[in-house]
Amino acid sequence: MRRKGQGPFVLGFLAPAGLLYLVFVLWPLVQSLHLSTFQWSGLSPVKKFVGADNFQRLAADPVFWTSVRNTLILIVVCGVALIAGGVGLGHVVNEETRWARAIRSIYLYPQAVSLVVVAIIWYFLLSPQIGLVNNLLRAVGLGSWERAWLGEPQTALGGVAAAFVWYALGFYSLLFASGLKSLPAEVNEAAELDGSVRLHRFWHVTWPMLWPIKRVAVVYTVVNVVNTFALVIVMTRGGDPDRATETMLTYLYEQGFEVSRFGYATSIAVANFLVVMAISLAVLFWFRRDPTAARA
Amino acid sequence: MRPIPLVLALSSLLIVAGCGPSGSGAPGGKVKVEVQAFQGGYGIDFFQQAGEEYSKLNPNVQVTVAGDPRVWEALRPRLVAGDVPDLMFPGWGMDHWALVNDGALLELDSALDEKAYKSDEPWRSTFRPGLLELCQKDGKTYMLPLYVMIYGWWYDPGVFAKNGWTPPQTWDELLAFGEKCKAKGVAPIAFQGQYPYYMIEGMLLPWACSVGGIEAVNAAQNLEPGAWSSPAMLRAAQMIAELRDKGFFLKGSVAMSHTEAQTQFLNGKAAMVPCGSWLESEMKSTMPPGAQVAFMPVPDVAGGKGDPTALLIGIEPWMVPTAAKHPKQAIEFFRYLTSLDEAKKFVREKGTLMAIVGSDDTDMPPSLEAPARALAGSKTVWSVQYRTWYPAMQEEIEGAITSLLNGQLTPEQFVERCEAAATKTRNDSTVTKYKVAS
Repeated sequence: MRRKGQGPFVLGFLAPAGLLYLVFVLWPLVQSLHLSTFQWSGLSPVKKFVGADNFQRLAADPVFWTSVRNTLILIVVCGVALIAGGVGLGHVVNEETRWARAIRSIYLYPQAVSLVVVAIIWYFLLSPQIGLVNNLLRAVGLGSWERAWLGEPQTALGGVAAAFVWYALGFYSLLFASGLKSLPAEVNEAAELDGSVRLHRFWHVTWPMLWPIKRVAVVYTVVNVVNTFALVIVMTRGGDPDRATETMLTYLYEQGFEVSRFGYATSIAVANFLVVMAISLAVLFWFRRDPTAARA
Repeated sequence: MRPIPLVLALSSLLIVAGCGPSGSGAPGGKVKVEVQAFQGGYGIDFFQQAGEEYSKLNPNVQVTVAGDPRVWEALRPRLVAGDVPDLMFPGWGMDHWALVNDGALLELDSALDEKAYKSDEPWRSTFRPGLLELCQKDGKTYMLPLYVMIYGWWYDPGVFAKNGWTPPQTWDELLAFGEKCKAKGVAPIAFQGQYPYYMIEGMLLPWACSVGGIEAVNAAQNLEPGAWSSPAMLRAAQMIAELRDKGFFLKGSVAMSHTEAQTQFLNGKAAMVPCGSWLESEMKSTMPPGAQVAFMPVPDVAGGKGDPTALLIGIEPWMVPTAAKHPKQAIEFFRYLTSLDEAKKFVREKGTLMAIVGSDDTDMPPSLEAPARALAGSKTVWSVQYRTWYPAMQEEIEGAITSLLNGQLTPEQFVERCEAAATKTRNDSTVTKYKVAS
């Protein structure tokens, strides 16, 4: 119920957060939109207004579309691997045994490490001369499978995806484990009484009821994959070999900071924003109806 | 609870407000000259010491030199805000031609026409011929060189002596030599795959120069139609593909950083590596005991139009921002830094060739003697300029050479991609065009 004189009070409490949001979120967004209409080196105050020119170039830039494609591949591959792996491991670590606890902390360990460290670890794992992967292959007599994993177009993006899945899997398994814990026990019991066990119960009872967790997981995957910048920069210098691992953010970085097209880079930032928004909205639309809502 | 973010926001605003341009009024009315320098293989200690010495000689000036290995990143926001150092050596990460195009750098020709430090000669004539031209746009000089880098191939003379090898001087000798290396289980060549310009500047362009003459390379740099797909460029690409197909490159090179590839070379896994004359100082700390490096020119193509003495060099320029507070004093300090005495001292202490005429005439490390002889004896000294003129085009060509080395492109497809990149650059009205000084 609203009481008289409450307005200023509410406003006063909202103001600090609102101000921060305005200064650090909304204003930079508006500024980016503004900058994307300029030709600017990003190295001096000299700017030239070019209107929508940057966006026209962007639409015709094959490297940009390669970067969009690679980003989408990473989202799909990592998303599927993380959700499947997360659900599977979630089941395993859901038990309260010593083993489950040990596995939980092992899998969560990469989360505690900075993404840059993860990138360096995987860079060395996949290194052609001293990498563990090639050494292992040699040791088991599969020397012919040896390759420069991050230097060849067929395997570089896969290497990046593997590193990201390794990094994020612990979080997703914990997410799904807590989701599994939150499922009402009576539903499981009822299903069991009705004769639904194992995979059947999983597909018809557990999986649909994990709906809110799946929604969070998918949105998280999209946001996290789009932000794998540090991983790609460290592992493949941001796009090597020959754009095979180029993502939207690494291309943005190259254009802004390496070839001095800051205005153009800002238009990539705007495009990136739109892509993430579009995917997130699509995901929210897809998961718009809670299939378990009718139960209540 | 809630006021905390507000307090934070306010205090951060205060911090930002406190970061404005600081005054240059030094104690005792001294003019404070700020120098920002790239801390690369040669460090910044030499410049700092020179700054102190110069300040002692000129009591009304206080030169302070600061820097770090990625100084260009710190300089970027300062250049945009107009809060610039008086003299800067921003390193390889700075797009200095963008600064020239934006009018952010001072034209230095009137200073160059004055006398060199404690000399009767014009400052301009104390630089090695051809170097100032690398710093010019439309005949005006906006940057100045200090040291000169020589590009070529490197080998370990100890390893060669032990195996009875001699550095191959021609393409045919290289092919024969490569088989000898492979027979001993050593890869003939390692390369820095993560930085494809080592292959562009260590093989592609020197061979295009050797086959088609310097005109072929100049035409490519000048974006002349057809120059990137010329017979000379195609032949150079075919030579690289031949080495690739013969298995002459150290396995995995395409994924290696410069230090990784160079370490493999120093550890005896490869016989040669393309690099610049900074190699020894770059690898000093990780050099295995007993390892040595020696310079060799890129093997020449017999019967080509090119001058066999042609030598690829490079510079990393110094510059004075237009918005500098004390440009005059900054230029005077650089004049001091380029005096013959300082240049010779730099050769002795840092082991690199300098841009100053006569600076070779001092004790230099043994590994520098061959590059110095090559430079002194070269009738065609040239530099890869398009790389910094057109960085976006360079990205495309670097990608293409990686694919050539990976076997994803044939030499014909490679030169077509290069030509397409050159055409795109030529037709892009937003890109400022340059020409190689003739």
